[in-house]
Amino acid sequence: MFAWKEGELDPEQESAIRCDGNVFLVACPGSGKTRTLTYKIAYELSRLSSEKQRVIAITYTHRAADEIHERIEALGVDTAQLWIGTIHSFCLEWILKPYGIYHAELSRGFRVINSHDSERILTELCEPYKREKIKPFDCGFYYTADGCVLACANTPKQSRVEMILQSYFQILSKNRQIDFELMLYYAHQLIADHPTISVLLSKMFAFVMVDEYQDTKAIQYSIIASILRAGAGSTKAFIVGDPNQAIFQGLGGFPIAAYVFAENAQVHLTELMLWRNYRSSEKIVGYFSNFNVHATQIESRAKHREYASIISFNNEVHRDALDDELIRLIRFNIEVAGIPPREICILAPQWVSLAAMTRKLVSSLPEYEFDGPGMVPFARDIDNFWYKFSRIVLTTASPEMFIRRRRWAAEILKDLEDADVTITGLTHKSLLRQCNSIKLDETDGLKYLAEFFGLLFAELGIDIQANELLKEHHEAFFGSSQSRIDRLRKEGAEFVGEISNFRKVFSNRSGITISTIHGIKGDEYDAVIAYALLEGMVPNSNDSDGENSAKKLLYVICSRARKNLHLISERGRLDWRKNEYGTTLKLAEYDFGYDTLPTSDEAPPPL
Amino acid sequence: MHISKLSIVNYRNFGNTKVLFNKGINTIIGENGSGKTNLFRAIRLLLDDNMKRSASRLEQNDFYRGLQDWRGHWIIISLEFEEVSQEESIQSLFLHSAGDITNETIERAAYNLIFRPKADIRVAMSKLEDGDADGLTAIRQRITIADYETIFTGRSDADFNDEAVYKDIVGDFDLVRFSDEIEFPSIGAKVPGMFSISQEISFTFIQALRDVVAEFQNNRANPLLTLLKSKSGQIDPAVFEPISVMVRELNNSIEQLGDVQILRTDISDTIKDAAGETYSPSSLSIKSELSDEADKLFHSLKLFVGEAEDGHEGAIHELSLGGANLIYLTLKLLEFKYQKAKQSFANFLLIEEPEAHIHTHIQKTLFDKLNYEDTQIIYSTHSTHISEVSNVLNINILGKNASRCEAYQPATGLAPAQVGNIQRYLDAVRSNLLFAKSVMLVEGDAEELLIPILVKKVLGISLDEMGISLINIRSTGFQNVAILFNDARIRKRCAILTDLDAAIIDTNPATGDSEDVKKKKLKVKNSHDVGVRRKTALETFGQNNNWLHLCFAPHTFEVDFVAAGNSEKVVDVLGDVYSSAGTVATAKAELESGDIALFGTRVLTMAQQEGKGWFAILLGKMIDHKTVIPSYILDAIFFVYPTVSTEVWFNILSYRVKCIEQAEQFGPEVIAAFRVKLKSFREGATDFITIRNDMLTTFAADKLIPILNRF
Repeated sequence: MFAWKEGELDPEQESAIRCDGNVFLVACPGSGKTRTLTYKIAYELSRLSSEKQRVIAITYTHRAADEIHERIEALGVDTAQLWIGTIHSFCLEWILKPYGIYHAELSRGFRVINSHDSERILTELCEPYKREKIKPFDCGFYYTADGCVLACANTPKQSRVEMILQSYFQILSKNRQIDFELMLYYAHQLIADHPTISVLLSKMFAFVMVDEYQDTKAIQYSIIASILRAGAGSTKAFIVGDPNQAIFQGLGGFPIAAYVFAENAQVHLTELMLWRNYRSSEKIVGYFSNFNVHATQIESRAKHREYASIISFNNEVHRDALDDELIRLIRFNIEVAGIPPREICILAPQWVSLAAMTRKLVSSLPEYEFDGPGMVPFARDIDNFWYKFSRIVLTTASPEMFIRRRRWAAEILKDLEDADVTITGLTHKSLLRQCNSIKLDETDGLKYLAEFFGLLFAELGIDIQANELLKEHHEAFFGSSQSRIDRLRKEGAEFVGEISNFRKVFSNRSGITISTIHGIKGDEYDAVIAYALLEGMVPNSNDSDGENSAKKLLYVICSRARKNLHLISERGRLDWRKNEYGTTLKLAEYDFGYDTLPTSDEAPPPL
Repeated sequence: MHISKLSIVNYRNFGNTKVLFNKGINTIIGENGSGKTNLFRAIRLLLDDNMKRSASRLEQNDFYRGLQDWRGHWIIISLEFEEVSQEESIQSLFLHSAGDITNETIERAAYNLIFRPKADIRVAMSKLEDGDADGLTAIRQRITIADYETIFTGRSDADFNDEAVYKDIVGDFDLVRFSDEIEFPSIGAKVPGMFSISQEISFTFIQALRDVVAEFQNNRANPLLTLLKSKSGQIDPAVFEPISVMVRELNNSIEQLGDVQILRTDISDTIKDAAGETYSPSSLSIKSELSDEADKLFHSLKLFVGEAEDGHEGAIHELSLGGANLIYLTLKLLEFKYQKAKQSFANFLLIEEPEAHIHTHIQKTLFDKLNYEDTQIIYSTHSTHISEVSNVLNINILGKNASRCEAYQPATGLAPAQVGNIQRYLDAVRSNLLFAKSVMLVEGDAEELLIPILVKKVLGISLDEMGISLINIRSTGFQNVAILFNDARIRKRCAILTDLDAAIIDTNPATGDSEDVKKKKLKVKNSHDVGVRRKTALETFGQNNNWLHLCFAPHTFEVDFVAAGNSEKVVDVLGDVYSSAGTVATAKAELESGDIALFGTRVLTMAQQEGKGWFAILLGKMIDHKTVIPSYILDAIFFVYPTVSTEVWFNILSYRVKCIEQAEQFGPEVIAAFRVKLKSFREGATDFITIRNDMLTTFAADKLIPILNRF
């Protein structure tokens, strides 16, 4: 049985792991949630009584799945009986593929459409509604058990959006394609129409773990609840998350209450809490506790809890001087506070152009590296076959990359199999060997990839053009990447298309991170600098529950920081009515004794 | 859970075959070359974990040869399972892949291997206009075996044995009609790559034994080693450690042996002498490498068996072949028991031709007793000894129809009482009837003895060569057995030969008839009436059944034998029957009288006196090529043997020519000239009509002529 040394886990973590029943675990930021989940999975894997049972772990992103998978392997636990992945992969592998023949829309075969393609279709469909200012962005939707819900809160637009979506679904149906939302919806329908599916799944699943429950959609809960219900106690659940960080509600994210879930799943849930924050100083924890919506308990237990954190707030700087302010803050943290660049993160809501800001910073601070959206030459479309394959192409064989690349290669093989491409004798080993043996002199990143894939697939004897799925993904990947590079070049990022820049995408983070607030999930940095904290952006003006959303967003932003936190509500940003945005109300309301930046003499010694 | 159905489409010698199985023991019987091995291979492709993965990648010559052009066609091997349970966790992985969830609870599962053209070819065919034969040809011409893929699917509900279903899915190549779709829910869902059904169940295949001693000597195939290996993994290290220590000491002691040391020095010195110091190895030693690991050490374990009473135990190669095979089979069965002990919910044991080397009476007891719980056993056999102990309900018969193999279920649609009759019959007279290509049913010993001789002497070939089984029912209860030959059951030809027992004397009472005559007339009349009724009953029974043919002897076998023109043969045995010269003379006169009342009564009297069987034996000795086969028997023969090949005609005619030659009625030049014609017929230069006419003109009196005229 998997065991751990005393002191490896704190008492709350340990009791959550050892708890025999169904657990509903609220984990405050920095409380070692991933660690707990990792150990829990390892523990339950080692406790399985039959080799026919599986432990299922559902994560929010592929990245999280990969990370947890790697950590469990590092713990020396056999992961053969572990299935870990996103809810979409779960639905695809466990419900849609095996039982799709019972669903009219799936029975003749189906392909998953990637976000790039679905956006392209929506863009075309929005074309006739230009005057009404309906953009693909407005066409967000998600499903509940009762049907489609529009994400767009703007009532006048809704009827148009409904028409657009109707055509959109027709196009998908005609092409036998499904998008991510339909994956969930159809999986739910299958589960609802064929109770046997839940029965079979529950017989196989000893444990179902759900990470980041606060961002999980209602329809996902009902899928999982149905399996638990069918299991009548034989399948256990382990639900983890933090309702305070539920920042995806606009997209259907739903921090379910423990008792509601227990009722749906007809199980008894043990509610537990991880309250020790190992990330942030006491001062930071104290600061962001103010934005706590769900009154969860949290206390700093960080090694540096007594760190003299700087928490600054600037609502006077004009947007034109914003880059200078950011440079000042970056320089302070690196040069005065002694924080390494890769431990600094700049955040902003997705409505402002992070790419432009990234490029400004890159040219103003040539001595530092940046990892930001304006620097990535291709769309991170994690479900695109060629994107996945480029991970192998753009990284080099090395001991530390070995496990990861092997897994990537295995994923490629599986995708090929799913695409009906069979190559006898191809293993992940031989695939990697073949990849490693290809040497090209091309310096243009996209050309490099195209040439690389061309050579490799010719060697493998696969005609990319002859396979619908490979072809579709190829066009999507290279098409969107090319337009992205063209756009970035036009905006001034001259070298964005170089192969060296391509390679950077998959190397470990080395520079200052620039990200949207929503893209920062689960990460942590010594210093966090956030700007555009403006009412109408944080929260978004369409948000029906703006107050709570604002608090949650601020909670997420501030809880990323270990040591220093810098908040900016710049002036001079105008909305479409040409009115200036004001400071986020919840922030403005907060009466806090903010710090001013000390000079180098006053700075505390780096820890 | 058990396999309930196997459907094979376009695989090897199966065009479209359905094999049905029941719980428990099942038998597949069939002559050699009827496809037993291929049928087992089909099952193994789906269930045998020991089968190499690459085996499922089929090849061009795996396609059924009856397809004129395999390109575009699919090979489908489909297994259906019954008595599955969704409540049992251990079945859940299996059912997740294969369970049919259309109903509220899962009652059946299906698992298929499908070898089909890859998607691009299927797309191309789906786009063909109906009837576009040229388009289809163009597509088919570019198909190679590399354009094929193997997929495993589960939970299909298509009946692959239904040709209409095949055409709906794969397409109609004759009419060029292809579905617009390229995926079909009815063929089931692809089994996810992460599952392997063969790992979910326990499956053991015991091959027909070819060389059992070699099998024991081969480390990979040796069943003893397999068993020991599964045990060596469980050995307590603490228990084994002292042995390991001893082995290491042993190795050390051997190395230290004086002679070994001397040898080492000698080798070393010789090298130095030969190659010189510079080129010699820098060091050299002799090591004893007896392994101290359990699994390797177990290789040295050998089985010794004592066969004789003297107590001597010999190694496998010293055993009798039968003994060695018995041991082999036993170890394989034990292997199965071990495997079954692992957690698996379904156990399958496939045994190929257990009779290969095992003594008859052991076969019988072995399979009488072979009955494991929760285990489905399927064995193939061509031994009548085994098939007679198997239940006719659990029998599949493989038969060859031209190059196409078919499977028949002999008990389909029969009432329990009817099954019981057949079962008792099979038990009593051996079940060679199940192995036959075609069958003639006769009512008594006389027919059983004489018909084979008649055929052999007249045609020069035996019933065996023609694949005809002659079965003596020993009564007129033909229906009990003939019921097997039917569209739904065994689709093989069956002729019933029976006597109509028509009266050979005037049975009308005449004035002055003595009591004896009256009695006799009544008896004959009764037989006559019964015969008429039996005929009606049989005709009703055989109505609309093309597999059945009724052949009536107008009177009685012996009577009609004489009537056919064979009185001289009966005359030849008179000396064996009667001792008095007077009786012989009277009998001779009667037999040659041409009056059926006289010769008929005489031949029946003789048969009665000697016993019908013994009389037939006497008669058999006299039969030669000039004997005439009664025409109702010829009817029967040529019903069950409808197509006579050139080669067979050649053999028959050659035989006749030889007989004619020996009779010296014709000069050698006539014989030689005819043989030339025969040769050219055999080589296909002339046809049957020509050679028949040649025979008619050359040997007009030959007794074969009436037979030839039938064709």
